[in-house]
Amino acid sequence: MEDYKFLFKVVLVGNAGVGKTCLVRRFTQGLFPPGQGATIGVDFMIKTVEVENEKVKLQIWDTAGQERFRSITQSYYRSAHALILVYDISCQPTFDCLPDWLREIEEYASNKVLRILVGNKIDREDREIPTHVGEDFAQRHGMYFLETSAKEAENVERLFMEIAAELMEQARSKELPRYETNTTSINGKTTSIGDTSNCGCSRLS
Amino acid sequence: MKWQRLLYNNMSPRILLRTFQRISGFRFSSTKPAFTSDRYNVKRGAYASISNDHVAFFNELLGRNRVIVDAEECEGYNIDYAKIVRGKSTLVLKPRTTDEVSTILKFCNENRLAVCPQSGNTGLVGGSVPVFDEIVISMKFMNKIIETNELAGVLTCEAGCVLEDLDNHLGTVGLMMPIDLGAKGSCLIGGCVSTNAGGLRLLRYGNLHGNVLGLEAVKANGEVIDCLNTLKKNNTGYHLKHLFIGSEGTLGIVTKVAIQCPPLPKAVNVALLGLNSFEKVLKAFRLAKAELAEILSSFEMMDKRSIDISFTTFGMKSPLTSKTDGHDFYVLLETSGSNVNHDEEKLGSFVEKALADDIIEDGTLTSDPTKVKHIWALRERISEGVLKEGYVFKYDISIPLSSYYKVIEVIQERLRDPRVIRISGYGHLGDGNIHVQVSIPSYEPDIASQLEPFIFEYVSELRGSVSAEHGIGFVKTKYLHKSRTSSEIKLMHQLKKLMDPNGILNPYKVLHPLEFPA
Repeated sequence: MEDYKFLFKVVLVGNAGVGKTCLVRRFTQGLFPPGQGATIGVDFMIKTVEVENEKVKLQIWDTAGQERFRSITQSYYRSAHALILVYDISCQPTFDCLPDWLREIEEYASNKVLRILVGNKIDREDREIPTHVGEDFAQRHGMYFLETSAKEAENVERLFMEIAAELMEQARSKELPRYETNTTSINGKTTSIGDTSNCGCSRLS
Repeated sequence: MKWQRLLYNNMSPRILLRTFQRISGFRFSSTKPAFTSDRYNVKRGAYASISNDHVAFFNELLGRNRVIVDAEECEGYNIDYAKIVRGKSTLVLKPRTTDEVSTILKFCNENRLAVCPQSGNTGLVGGSVPVFDEIVISMKFMNKIIETNELAGVLTCEAGCVLEDLDNHLGTVGLMMPIDLGAKGSCLIGGCVSTNAGGLRLLRYGNLHGNVLGLEAVKANGEVIDCLNTLKKNNTGYHLKHLFIGSEGTLGIVTKVAIQCPPLPKAVNVALLGLNSFEKVLKAFRLAKAELAEILSSFEMMDKRSIDISFTTFGMKSPLTSKTDGHDFYVLLETSGSNVNHDEEKLGSFVEKALADDIIEDGTLTSDPTKVKHIWALRERISEGVLKEGYVFKYDISIPLSSYYKVIEVIQERLRDPRVIRISGYGHLGDGNIHVQVSIPSYEPDIASQLEPFIFEYVSELRGSVSAEHGIGFVKTKYLHKSRTSSEIKLMHQLKKLMDPNGILNPYKVLHPLEFPA
């Protein structure tokens, strides 16, 4: 098994077409896929990063924005460590829907989950939501805030790296949400969050 | 949202797959395979030859429309789907009733005319086409649904019903066929039963020996054996139906079947997973069994070279994008359950663990009908696509899971020949069943001899089966003894002699030669 110390589940949600998949592909593959089709269901992948010389594995869940393409909705949130809520800065309706997304998050996610509001597509010239409006919203709802461009690779790496660093920090101080993860892994190891001094993730390597 | 999701979930992917092309064996190229009798050097049995009087009898019985003598029209019945065999029949009969089948067989038996029962002709071992001039009895026209018992979940129908049509029919009353396979659009239920076909959901619903409750068959002498039981339990006397399930038309022709049909699942989810070693495929299987337990309905494995056929030949897009050059292995996993939330929770937990334990590299999960269909097509079109490459040696073997993929590596090692286009493996991992395919531009005897009997001996040593679900047909008769003991084969010969003393039913198949070696 790969050698890593932390494993975090990061879930992206938000309206269709705001660029969730593009953010993920920019981060995991370093590319910007033109003409990306709508995500159907949920895609999941692993990306390992290094923070302060520690290997951190990010389990990324890229969800469908369109309601009719969503599946296993509740499970997305279950045991998530971080939720990235994305809107498109050039599209007011994607911003207007944020309260709906927050309601869903309240309903299904742990109240300790790290929440990040991301305004994507800052490469676009037809901005509709000024930065400070996004910032205000984030502040009111106790969320981190960042503006990004998947297309221009702006702030994408930073977004995920800061999440990794923040979660690592929380894990060390044992402030991560506690889930009932008294699960038995394939090799029979059982680990609960916060059980061990060196790990705050849901699974040991 | 709920109602919409429920709506989709009520539509089983089985229904959705219906838009699939009906598989036709003759769409790719016009080159015909060599005559079986020449390529395999077979000696014709001591059967009578078809005379004008014989044809006149059949014309009288069936009418000229259902008696085919036109050489070109007969050709479609002489060549198999995979184009590995070719017979020389000049007469095709299309009965509509059991009585007609009975009259045909009685006449053939009395006149020592050999017959080849033919269903959808989608078999892969040359069992469904004649070797010489056997009369083809096509079951296509016996396609009536006799009864659908919704309460008991039992369908009774004639042998010539297309599997997909039956599934469509059952879908309207909330039931489904317990069997599903890539050729569903053209295979007929009688052929499925006669060959004990396996398919994509055997893992969940079991094989046809269990699911066929009863059947009607016609023996070589025209006698109709009515064992059309529809009870789930009936332990009385010998269970004769089993003689006709998997005997490939050598003991009788199946004319009707009663089949047990499970309820259509309310929630169907499909995941495609990317993995980087076969060892991880096995780990994923173990995890899936533990986490998904009773809702797991399919667990299919494909290596990179297999799924590449769907990507390149049909230009289908990979739903997995995190690795530009793809994964070494893929798993298609399907769950079918009765409670959406319940299933979702299990799947979520399965995926989380698979990611956390480094079992999978990435994956996608959906219940959306279009995407479900797309993912299934990646798996189901492999067999069709590889045929475009030329001649394909196909092996359908069962081996213990620990050696499951090793057979591909062994063949790749053994067969280092520039003429070989592809050596790949995919299949029903959940059943320990792998499909091995070796493609070359055209048939080469020296390649054949490098593969056979080697592969059968290899499988036999591992205590596997030389034919997991495709049967023995014509091309594997030599290797029957690799998977059956001589005591079993001896009894098979005795049964054959008892039920078809003149050996007119599907000769040169399954048991060949007909005499048991002393």
